[in-house]
Amino acid sequence: MDGESRNGFVGLVLVSHSAAIAEGLAELVAQVAGPSVPIVAAGGGPDGTFGTDGGRVLEALRDAAGSAGAVVLMDLGSSVLSVRAALGELPEETTAKLRIADAPLVEGAIAAGVTASTGGSVDEVLAAAQEARTVAKL
Amino acid sequence: MPSSETERRATLPKEVPLHARPAGDLVRAAAKFPAEISVAANGKCANAKSILEILALGALGGTELVIAASGDRAAEAADHLAGLVPQLG
Repeated sequence: MDGESRNGFVGLVLVSHSAAIAEGLAELVAQVAGPSVPIVAAGGGPDGTFGTDGGRVLEALRDAAGSAGAVVLMDLGSSVLSVRAALGELPEETTAKLRIADAPLVEGAIAAGVTASTGGSVDEVLAAAQEARTVAKL
Repeated sequence: MPSSETERRATLPKEVPLHARPAGDLVRAAAKFPAEISVAANGKCANAKSILEILALGALGGTELVIAASGDRAAEAADHLAGLVPQLG
């Protein structure tokens, strides 16, 4: 694969209105993709309710960018808005390592996780996530 | 395009359907090879490097998979995957 993956595996950030969805999906992806892919779950509002926590999303993106970069997957609505807002606050050297996936959350995260586990670059992981928009289940 | 397609057949263990975890193992193994690799079963054909396509095959335990590889190191890739399929768990 290309130079971006040499320093380690591309990571995933999972943003959902529900902490349980984000954490459960992180566990599921780890089962399928193996332990080498760093996954950060950023789900739920600041007080443990349903919603999104902009500060937590910002921190997650900053942590996940790492050396090999990360692909961010979101459920919908304010998750998308929080990610956009966080990107606006991060320096360019950080955002350059992040890719935002326009993909169904569960299917995209599994596809992205498996591709990341093969040592794929951040763009290859993004492409795998977005393939979830078109691959039929049946 | 030069074509050097190699085809191998391999059967999933009786008790192991091609569900998420074994599919992930198969995709990781396929991704190590530069060849283009497909896996066919149940009248469908999947890119071996795409877990979503592999899962969509819906292959149950005991299903025979047809692995076809072409391009660089195609025979090696097909042999390797055909050896792996019966070991999936």
